[in-house]
Amino acid sequence: MTNRDGRLTASARLERLLSIVPWVAAQDGVRLAEISQRFDYPEGRLLLDLEEIVFMVGVYPFSPDQLIEVMIDDGRVWIRYADFFGKSLRLTPDQALALVTAGSSLLAVPGAEPDGALARGLAKLAATLGLEDGVPVGVRLGGVDEPILATLRAAASENHELQIDYYSYGRDERSTRTIEPNRVFLEDGQWYVDAYCHKAQDIRVFRADRIRSTQLTGRTFVRNDEDPTNLRPSAGPIEVTLLLRPAGEWIASAYPCRASEMTEHGFKVTLGISAFAWLDRLLLQLGPAGQLLSIDGVAAPDRAAIMARKILERYRTNEG
Amino acid sequence: MAKLERLLNLTAALLHTERPLTAEQIRERIPGYPDDLVAFRRAFSRDKEDLREMGVPITMEDAYVSDTPIDGYRIRKGDYFLKDPDLEPDELAALHMAARAIQFDEGASSQALLKLGGLIGQDTGDADQPLAAMPGSPVLSDLFGALTDRRLVQFGYRDEVRHVEPQRIDFQRGRWYLTAWDLDRNAERNFRVDRMGDAVSLGEVGSATRRKMGTARWTQPWELGSDQPIVARVHIDADQAGSVPFEIGQEAVVERNGDGSVVVQLSVTNEAAFVTFVLSFLDHAEVLSPPELRDAVISWLKASAQGSQR
Repeated sequence: MTNRDGRLTASARLERLLSIVPWVAAQDGVRLAEISQRFDYPEGRLLLDLEEIVFMVGVYPFSPDQLIEVMIDDGRVWIRYADFFGKSLRLTPDQALALVTAGSSLLAVPGAEPDGALARGLAKLAATLGLEDGVPVGVRLGGVDEPILATLRAAASENHELQIDYYSYGRDERSTRTIEPNRVFLEDGQWYVDAYCHKAQDIRVFRADRIRSTQLTGRTFVRNDEDPTNLRPSAGPIEVTLLLRPAGEWIASAYPCRASEMTEHGFKVTLGISAFAWLDRLLLQLGPAGQLLSIDGVAAPDRAAIMARKILERYRTNEG
Repeated sequence: MAKLERLLNLTAALLHTERPLTAEQIRERIPGYPDDLVAFRRAFSRDKEDLREMGVPITMEDAYVSDTPIDGYRIRKGDYFLKDPDLEPDELAALHMAARAIQFDEGASSQALLKLGGLIGQDTGDADQPLAAMPGSPVLSDLFGALTDRRLVQFGYRDEVRHVEPQRIDFQRGRWYLTAWDLDRNAERNFRVDRMGDAVSLGEVGSATRRKMGTARWTQPWELGSDQPIVARVHIDADQAGSVPFEIGQEAVVERNGDGSVVVQLSVTNEAAFVTFVLSFLDHAEVLSPPELRDAVISWLKASAQGSQR
């Protein structure tokens, strides 16, 4: 929309003027400064464009009564005879979607008022888009305990150190950690906090719905502006080799493989993983379609069998 | 003469005219075009392109100025004019705040706000980092436009061409879904938007029917099947219960225990997918009922427990 030096491009000016003209025409004099702020239009440029361009716009035969009238007096602007620009240009689908998505998403954040100004504005917007039954865009964000989210956000903005009770899904273990929360954010619908973790002695990203409890330690920290680490689990340092039957060969396309080989017993693949609980889930899911051969090159115990017995134990204990 | 002025005059002329204007009439009536015919055609065609790119709906039809059809241009006010929602200042400011807090398509949301009355209520303090980033998709705005204009939509999905009437769009579990009436199957279906590829084709305005449908729901893996629906109850331990609202949905929770664990109730039509889901909790979840699903998990586990000599 703007050039590198911050000036508006010609098409950005055109777009804005098509909105400014009907908006100003509907009022009885508006301060130039207000137009400039509302429509993100540098004041000097706006004055020039109104006086030298909009003032020359009209329809054939361009007699005075067919031209837009722009009057600027004492910092206020009046526009008349611009009936052909009676309304702004309608929203394009991507513009309407962008606004509706932003609004619906913010409404889905815990603490939003379901009947507040945002909800009212969205409903009005939907109605004018021809959507009589309300906004057909639903946003469901990750569930998170509201007080925990509030504590995380407050701690991140006030640099308070926190102790958290955290469940790590990848490792399937619970731990108490001291963290310095840097930023609370939503990505792909899920709440995260990235923080310096004293236990890991590094920046870690924690999923907020896996934080069971939080407690202020009473200490504050000094923020350092390192980039948050990548959210996505990358291939880990532990090398595991699996033997896959045909029903399990999808593994090879679902996860990055370090090596693969077709043998007489089946398809042999090597993956880099970072946590064993992740491996156990995969093995249980594969069942007879896959078999663990080795971990870091050493013949591995049958982890699937060990985990299966552990789960069966639970079922046996609770047998009617 | 500035191009900006010419484009404004062109838009004004096309909006003002009752009858389509021929290129010749436009050349005569709009100041700022070159006199040379070839140069004029080039400039006019670029102007049309620029305006259409902005979303200005220029229509082309017979101008009826002679016996042989001649292309004429105009902009129908009904196509061009915004249906103004007449937002109150606090509503406009709230939408502006949302557009700043949610990272989605910032360019498009600002353009929308400019048309609705401008950017107001902007706090002058340092710009906060956005609260949330929502993923985009190349076909989402087409789907949304199809929804508002009631257009049929056609797209490739799992190696098959689908013809649907879009009904709603939902963002759940980190993904966009389309709920639509599938014309070939004569039934409601959910589609993952990220599996539709980079393009969908749209039918005419008004070609689709808007139907009354249940509230938004999305299909879980254990619902993707043709088994007779069975209601399963699963106990999930406290440490894992926190992610239930995200993975399954809050409404599935039917029991909350003092120790923080929960019981969820699920409707299962795909037994294999259900077993996989339950096992993803390792030993932190247990199928309580019905016996046949509990047994399905147990027998899968027994096969695994016997070891790899299978």
